[in-house]
Amino acid sequence: MLKTYTFYVSGTHCASCKILIEDILKEQDFVKSVKVDLKKEIVEIETDSNQNTEKLATILTEKVKGSGYTLSVEKQVQEKKSDGVIWQAIPIGLVFLILFFIFQKSGILNFGIGGKTTPITSFIIGLIASVSSCLAIVGGLVLSLSAKMSQDNINDTKTFLLFHIGRIFSFALLGGILGLIGNAIGINFTFTAIMGIIASIVMLFLGLNLIGVFTKNKITLSLKIFNFFRKIEHKTFTPLIVGFGTFFLPCGFTQSMQVVALSSGSFMSGFLIMLAFALGTLPVLLLLSFGSASFAHGKHAPLFFKSAGVIVLGLGLFALLAGLAGLGIINPLFSI
Amino acid sequence: MNKTVSIIITLGLVIVIGIIFFGGVENKSVENNVEIKNGIQYVTINAKGGYFPKISTAKADIPTKLIIKTNGTYDCSAALVIRSLGFQKILPQTGETEIDLGIPKKGEPLQGICGMGMYSFLINFN
Repeated sequence: MLKTYTFYVSGTHCASCKILIEDILKEQDFVKSVKVDLKKEIVEIETDSNQNTEKLATILTEKVKGSGYTLSVEKQVQEKKSDGVIWQAIPIGLVFLILFFIFQKSGILNFGIGGKTTPITSFIIGLIASVSSCLAIVGGLVLSLSAKMSQDNINDTKTFLLFHIGRIFSFALLGGILGLIGNAIGINFTFTAIMGIIASIVMLFLGLNLIGVFTKNKITLSLKIFNFFRKIEHKTFTPLIVGFGTFFLPCGFTQSMQVVALSSGSFMSGFLIMLAFALGTLPVLLLLSFGSASFAHGKHAPLFFKSAGVIVLGLGLFALLAGLAGLGIINPLFSI
Repeated sequence: MNKTVSIIITLGLVIVIGIIFFGGVENKSVENNVEIKNGIQYVTINAKGGYFPKISTAKADIPTKLIIKTNGTYDCSAALVIRSLGFQKILPQTGETEIDLGIPKKGEPLQGICGMGMYSFLINFN
């Protein structure tokens, strides 16, 4: 005999989710009819199965889990919980931001490196750059992408490796090209400033996403962008391209090194200088991406995602305002 | 953690951020970085981890040149942009860069900013 069950569904983020869930569930033999109500976040099914409700929820969740949905008997209390987490995450994120900016302001990083730039000095400059204010934009981007990927349960190790390999390889290659042609690529200030603004918008978007603003309120406007990100996250070449793109992000150190590579006079010397510089920036960036992955799989994952979201939002805002000031659109608001 | 406690801590931290960004701006325009030689006014600014002094005061209506000094500068301050002059250049890591400002008018300050936008300097003309 047919019985009607009602389950709560989570993970629905778009109008087409209704159709998708209904299609998947209808394929099950024991399910006679399915009705999804996105507004109430419930799924009603008619079934002749004799399983108890909990068991049914588990079975059905198995089917839709691949698409990112979960069915449960009771409404998930996640929202209440996450409300509490966010109030812990905001102070944590702010403390990190404060430490970061105090560190920048302290002037510790301003020691000089005189003489001729060799691959060894450019490695040291890379190390400095990786904890400088460049970290706000490059590191912020790495942190937000890493955390987002871990959250979406994408094969993160492979993606991170591809990103870092892409980054180091393209730095070295572009450095070599700079040395070879002795001409400027990517040194156009307006171009790098625009790249920086794009990166900061991505950071703001991912930051909000990590905090969970989008999933809660389901802003329809963001859905197209959201789907776009979902799509590109899964591609193999995307992390390579993003790694390549970091060459053009606004960072005084990168730009200085580009000039050094430019005036180095040969492919090999430009190649080695930029390679050493990229290797110098690697430890901190590796720490960011793999550190966030290990947190993301740990016990405090929700707290980590939200704290990371707060940090990324802060850095994104900083980078956006600085980028706009760099373009002369707004007055420089601050000086660190 | 208690929500109220968190909110109080958050507000405190926001105030600290405000102080970091907007407070403590040293208006050290007392530094003697402006000199006139042979009828030409030279304004000298050191670029390294920011621009110093951040605010300078110079005379208007005389030919003026800006000298940016770098000394092992690899950070953003080496990537200098002066929008009003259409000037943008990556400064040499160590050396002096001379920029002709023409004859500045009174009340038209000159602003320079680094490529990423977080360091800036201002020269007021009186």
